[in-house]
Amino acid sequence: MLIETRDLRHTYMPGTPFQVEALKGISVKIEQGEFVGIIGETGSGKSTFVQHLNGLLRPSSGKILLDGRNPWAGEIKLKKIRSSIALLFQYPEHQLFEETVFKDVAFGPRSLGLEGDELEERVRFGLELTGLDYKFYKDRSPFNLSGGEKRRVAMAGILAMKPEAVILDEPTAGMDPSGRRRLMDQIERFHKEENLTVILVTHNMEEVSRLAKKLYVFSGGQLVLQGTPAEIFKNTALIRKIGLDLPPITDLLHKLKKTGRNIRTDLFTLEEASREILHHYRGG
Amino acid sequence: MNAIFELKNVTFDYSFDDTGPIRALNNISLTINEGEYVALIGPNGSGKSTLARHLNAILLPTAGEILVDGFTTMREENRWEIRRRVGMVFQNPDNQIVATTVEEDVAFGLENLGVDSSLMAKRVTEALEAVGLQSLKNHAPHLLSGGQKQRLAIAGVIAMRPRCLVLDEPTAMLDPRGRREVLETVKKMKQQEGITIVHITHFMEEAVEADRVIVMDKGKIIHEGTPAEIFTGGVDLYSLDLEIPVIPKLIQILRSQGLVVPPGVLKVDELVDYLC
Repeated sequence: MLIETRDLRHTYMPGTPFQVEALKGISVKIEQGEFVGIIGETGSGKSTFVQHLNGLLRPSSGKILLDGRNPWAGEIKLKKIRSSIALLFQYPEHQLFEETVFKDVAFGPRSLGLEGDELEERVRFGLELTGLDYKFYKDRSPFNLSGGEKRRVAMAGILAMKPEAVILDEPTAGMDPSGRRRLMDQIERFHKEENLTVILVTHNMEEVSRLAKKLYVFSGGQLVLQGTPAEIFKNTALIRKIGLDLPPITDLLHKLKKTGRNIRTDLFTLEEASREILHHYRGG
Repeated sequence: MNAIFELKNVTFDYSFDDTGPIRALNNISLTINEGEYVALIGPNGSGKSTLARHLNAILLPTAGEILVDGFTTMREENRWEIRRRVGMVFQNPDNQIVATTVEEDVAFGLENLGVDSSLMAKRVTEALEAVGLQSLKNHAPHLLSGGQKQRLAIAGVIAMRPRCLVLDEPTAMLDPRGRREVLETVKKMKQQEGITIVHITHFMEEAVEADRVIVMDKGKIIHEGTPAEIFTGGVDLYSLDLEIPVIPKLIQILRSQGLVVPPGVLKVDELVDYLC
């Protein structure tokens, strides 16, 4: 599904003294199978923006188009959008409500009309993708699981619907480092194997620079930068000014370059960065 | 050096009606000295927050004893002295606000202590200056950014002149600017005011800033040492669901490829200084 917005604007509480213009004309085009990152400080409009992408919020003006069709002009059903584009909020464990893990994961696919073997197959699929053993977890209460496990159950419920795109709003806040890494590894795998579109909203610059191919940078309700991580993090002064940070590796490479070395600064993985540093400093 | 916290064989069980007791702390002994900056790390469920809640007698041990500046937490009459010495800051900034202006929010704790009003005004001003919120003193707290709210929580605590600040994942819900602001404030509290810091975090790069890192797992302390000792490869953090922060990990790779980097180097600026 092609996700497109054209001059999208959103005003909260229009016509009141509390009127806030949260989005001031956002135009993006996200192709099926892309992995994009959305970054920006708290209050920059990121969450408001992504809630438009699956029809939770209605634009005050401008358009959202899914495969060229406008849901707010009746050209595509909202229900269809919400099953194709899944949104996982912050602290998704708060979205759990059933007595067993099976029932919780089954809730979404059941609402798509699946039942019996087909439903069980989907639950198994969702749990296994998120690294939870089907037999071990299916009859347990989601409320007696650890924070990381709960989050994976919530994620399993979404993946079991086999969406075309997932929007993840700070999926790893408050998780321990390996829980964070496991969850992101699974999302990346699913992205590659199933050509899933991933839209990741995050404050973790290191993670997003490594995973996303394209970044959208929000500030004050506007899209101030878009491009590859290398293109974005070149703008060191602007990035800091709008409340963000450079990924640690980028920070290091920029500081080394400042000392006069002709070192590359567009590298984001440990392997690439260590090779570049060794090339410049070993034996020298 | 003066010990501010002495934990002697502390065990704590949570009891639930349906499942029976769950051991959250298992025979922990630990001393934290006045003026130290200690980072507490460990996987979800390892007992970090439970331990923190023992440091100002919110929770009391099932067995063992805790002395705070010599006062045992087990005696009711000591709690007042203990809570004056130990301030807590929690993860969610929205749950810690009590007043309608920034200034009043800081004054709240002092009012409870019965501090007289001229001294109160002075303490509030000093606390707001220390966290850099003086210019916002008449603002409504709920309109502050996440980082500002956490700094406000810190101001409310330091206005009471505690000897120690216990912070339970204070940056988990913040954006990069908010994290930067809070971490700088915490470091300043230690350096300028000599306040002891106990900082629980899931961000390994924050733990690098501490004097001592304590690693917990399943209710026990399983490692402790300087950041250099914990994060340069000697300790298997991966099996604990933890990891080495990016820059120390990069340095590890550089070393394995033959580049000589001295052991104390763990941060970007230190590495840049060494290489250039």
